[in-house]
Amino acid sequence: MTAEAGVPDISATRAWVARLKLGLGTAARHRSIQVGGVLFGFIVLLAIFADLIAPFDPNKNNFRALLSAPDAVNIFGTDAFGRDILSRVIHGTRLSLLVGLLVVVATGILGVIVGTFTGYVRWLDGPVMRVMDGLMAFPGILLAIALAAVLGPSVSNAALALTITFTPRTARIVRGSVLVLREMPYVEAAKACGASHARIVLKHILPNALPPLIVQLTFVFSVSILAEAVLSFMGVGPPPPTPSLGNIIAEGRSYIQEAPWVALMPGIAIAMTVLGLNIIGDGLRDTLDPRLRNL
Amino acid sequence: MTRYILSRVLSAVPVLFVVSLVTFLLMWLVPGDVASQIAGPDATAAELEAIRQRLQLDQPIHIQAFRWYGNLLQGDLGQSYLLHRSVVDAVFERLPVTLSLAFMSLVLAVIFGVLLGVLAATNHNNWIDQVTMAGALLGLSLPDFWFGLVLIFFFAVGMGWFPTGGYTPFTESPLGWLRSMTLPACTLAFTQMGVIARMVRSSMLEQMGQDYIRTAKAKGLPRGLVLFKHALRNALIPVITLVGIMTGLLLGGTVVIEVVYSLPGVGRLIIGAIQNRDYPIVQGGLLMTAGIFVFVNIAVDILYTIVDPRVRNDR
Amino acid sequence: MRKKKWITNKAKLRKALAIPALVLGIAASPVVGQVEGGELVLAQSANPPSLDAMTSSSETARNINMNIYEPLVAIDENVNPIPMLAKSIEPSEDLLTYVFPLRQGVLFHNGKEMTAEDVKASLERYREVGATRGMLDKVKEIEITGDYEVTFHMSEATPTFIEGFSSPRAPAVIIPAEEAAKPANEIEIIGTGPFKFVEFVPDDHVTLEKFADYVPNEDFDGPTGFGGKKTAYLDSAVYRIIPEAGARIAALEAGEVQWADQIPVPAAKRMSADENLNVYEARQWAFMTFIMNWNLPPTDDVNFRRAVLYAIEPEEVMAIATEGFYDLNHGWQYPGRTYNAGDIGKEIYESAHIDKAKEFLAMSDYDGEEFLILTDPNYAEHSRAAVVLAEQLKPIGINAVVKQLDWATVLKIRLTDEGWNGWTLMQGLEPFLGPYGIAAKMRGDQTHMRGTADVFEESYNRLITGKTVEDRQKAFAEIQTAIYDLVPQIKIGDVGRMQAGSARLKGFKPFRAPRLNDIWLED
Repeated sequence: MTAEAGVPDISATRAWVARLKLGLGTAARHRSIQVGGVLFGFIVLLAIFADLIAPFDPNKNNFRALLSAPDAVNIFGTDAFGRDILSRVIHGTRLSLLVGLLVVVATGILGVIVGTFTGYVRWLDGPVMRVMDGLMAFPGILLAIALAAVLGPSVSNAALALTITFTPRTARIVRGSVLVLREMPYVEAAKACGASHARIVLKHILPNALPPLIVQLTFVFSVSILAEAVLSFMGVGPPPPTPSLGNIIAEGRSYIQEAPWVALMPGIAIAMTVLGLNIIGDGLRDTLDPRLRNL
Repeated sequence: MTRYILSRVLSAVPVLFVVSLVTFLLMWLVPGDVASQIAGPDATAAELEAIRQRLQLDQPIHIQAFRWYGNLLQGDLGQSYLLHRSVVDAVFERLPVTLSLAFMSLVLAVIFGVLLGVLAATNHNNWIDQVTMAGALLGLSLPDFWFGLVLIFFFAVGMGWFPTGGYTPFTESPLGWLRSMTLPACTLAFTQMGVIARMVRSSMLEQMGQDYIRTAKAKGLPRGLVLFKHALRNALIPVITLVGIMTGLLLGGTVVIEVVYSLPGVGRLIIGAIQNRDYPIVQGGLLMTAGIFVFVNIAVDILYTIVDPRVRNDR
Repeated sequence: MRKKKWITNKAKLRKALAIPALVLGIAASPVVGQVEGGELVLAQSANPPSLDAMTSSSETARNINMNIYEPLVAIDENVNPIPMLAKSIEPSEDLLTYVFPLRQGVLFHNGKEMTAEDVKASLERYREVGATRGMLDKVKEIEITGDYEVTFHMSEATPTFIEGFSSPRAPAVIIPAEEAAKPANEIEIIGTGPFKFVEFVPDDHVTLEKFADYVPNEDFDGPTGFGGKKTAYLDSAVYRIIPEAGARIAALEAGEVQWADQIPVPAAKRMSADENLNVYEARQWAFMTFIMNWNLPPTDDVNFRRAVLYAIEPEEVMAIATEGFYDLNHGWQYPGRTYNAGDIGKEIYESAHIDKAKEFLAMSDYDGEEFLILTDPNYAEHSRAAVVLAEQLKPIGINAVVKQLDWATVLKIRLTDEGWNGWTLMQGLEPFLGPYGIAAKMRGDQTHMRGTADVFEESYNRLITGKTVEDRQKAFAEIQTAIYDLVPQIKIGDVGRMQAGSARLKGFKPFRAPRLNDIWLED
């Protein structure tokens, strides 16, 4: 890593790309990443091509086929509206991934901004991190539910509530890396050469803070998918008739004896998606951030 | 030492201030109000206004905030609008349920997590290891509320071994308490168990690679003795930290389980209060849970410092 | 007894009121095999918001409170007013005074005897804190005219006064005078009913126990409605709060509870085959209605509202919203009830008229803006109806959007002109109690639709003050005609309610609230 310090002409972008290539190159050869990648990749494909793959319109009601058991037409059966559960699960998975992605992107951006500023600008550190500590002291899911209640139910608000909930932990990780990297000799050297703060941060510090961030964001991704399901289940997620996996489970809860397929199938879909992400996360942790291997 | 403890405790003050501020703002921003909840769907505008006046909700935000903080400093978290008791009473009434659940699931998670972790570590790289770790990973990936429903379906409805929900206080019937807690605790423990098992495994593998273990083995000590007396003992130190962290997080983890199993715990108290706009309960309840979280963490830190003085200097 | 002109349900009622000793109770008395003792565990979906009965019109409160407290005037099994703590009801010829002689020897749960003092204090309190205190608006003064008699002096003659006064919505119950001096929700829970309050652990349970010194009303032969001669056989009753329907069912099947409310229909169907369980069908439980906001575009336009009305296919909405337990009914009264207005609107209601709907839509100023359907997840029927309605309106070109917020927010938003166009609401007590509650929500300044029309004001006045039943029926028919013309609300259908109990539970009959008296548990 320190080698970069001796090559002052590499542009910031190229520093990032180099760091990423290094990490992801190793990662791609890791076995759990391959296994998780296949599982997760399959789910992502299902989600992207949901409109083509889902056999029916997920919101098409049919009051003559309420809660019908799985058969050749409705492979996963139908729900209390007569809607095809397979189609709803496929679209629901797309929504879960979308929420997860939104949260990852937003948390990543906010986490980097807050983490870098608090790590780099000393006088900001105290007050901002106290706010972050305060947010982290809430039981996460309760905070998300309260936020979702304030914001009102919608896909973007669910994502926002989860972003606010997960940003502090991410910011803390970025800050930790920045605090260490700031003291590195090559950063000192760049400073001595008169490099601007922006240049130091963008070129020398952030690229090297990336690996633990990526690992954390994989974790945020899988936890957001689980948390979105909880929000929907508690009735503060995306409103009906949105096919969200948590909504489908919540609706199926009343029929767990008469029509167990309603609640069962979306649960399995969540578990598979999160499992795929967790396997990838394990691999990334191993290759990108050996210090975290224990957790 | 005393200075360290004091400084840690003092550091909780700004955190709790932020917590209180956030809860206060949240409840101020939330749409809907408790008046229509109290008066019901037929209330007239005038009736609602009267209720708001009675509850002093018609006052400007800064006056409400001032009053709230004034009372808070005197240790008074206020009265619930709907439950006819003080916030402190309401939370303390529910605490045994949540603590029972958190404690039992933690005990289960530690026992089985350590067992599985050791099993995996001692069978490193063979199928037992792989199956155990796959199971642990699956546990981490299950939506716990859904898993709770599945357990209810099989063990409460299907087999009839456990009640489907509800809480029996320990003082009323220890056996009933155990039965009412088993499924919820197992649900919660299942995910936590995975975390602990993974931790124990990797930490034990690390220890088994250490010189002293190799020396002990070379000296011809029995494998079991080496593993359990030396490797496991040292491997458990990071696990203790983890358990400390998890204790704090469990308060959040119990929320959904309380809902699924109809347990009258603190989480459901706060959720219900959010839904009914019972502001004092939401504010006081969140403040108290966050307070517990903060102080558990401080306690863990301090314990850790006593056990291992090097840690202090790291901070 | 003075001769008086009596107003509501004619001869039968008059006899019952004036000569209360007459047999009125449903013949429950000589049924054999009542078992004394035991504890009944009931499962209901939510905490009672208050056990101060006057202050809450919530169903979950009523389920409990109707067993603890009693009013002066209650309703019988057919929703007619009957004296309960009053010995009789004696209106003057001009309807400007009502004399209520009280039953003597009635004891409160604290052992004190009920007197005129307590009655006056309770009703004065009701004027202050009662959730439906409007029903006492026409009472100018409540006078104590004897140790056991109170007299109401009215500001004007109101033929329908006693019907309103008997409403169990937020019942005007009698509590001890010293409790009546306390503000809302701060009283000790003390009534005169056959069960007394023991404890309330929110989110868990409410416990009642038999009031050993209960004084039954010997003027009746047996129980009827919320009144009559009540007998407590059970030693105690525990209401467990179980929000989740699946959990209520499981608890019932596991024998943990012996009675459960709000059973999903698929489960009820399955359970009816189980000989250890009884399923109770309460057919005419509520109206499913779709309320329009007259003050926000596009629903401020009558032609747009008509387009919505004509586009709806009620059968699909009802089948899905109620899980199949419903009756199609265009009327704003249940079939067979006195004020049922016959076929008015039936043709419009029976099925969707897509061409007609499109015509109205074309006549309106509608320009593709959002049609916001307000609903909540707390009542699954509301939410399901909203979803199906939205799907039905999209094909004719209405940009329907479901706006689901929690119940507390919905209750607030619907009192404003902004943020909603349509609102799905089950109205239970209004149709149960007759035409007045329904009509009242379309006139005055507190209407559901945020506006009103002269026709609703005028017809309502004739409904309230009409001298004969025929006059009032005519007024209600006009209201129903206007509803199908101006579309303040849309009637979707009649919703049923499923309840279930253990086969050991005997004597239970579904009513607006589960009655703990005159039911028992067999061994």
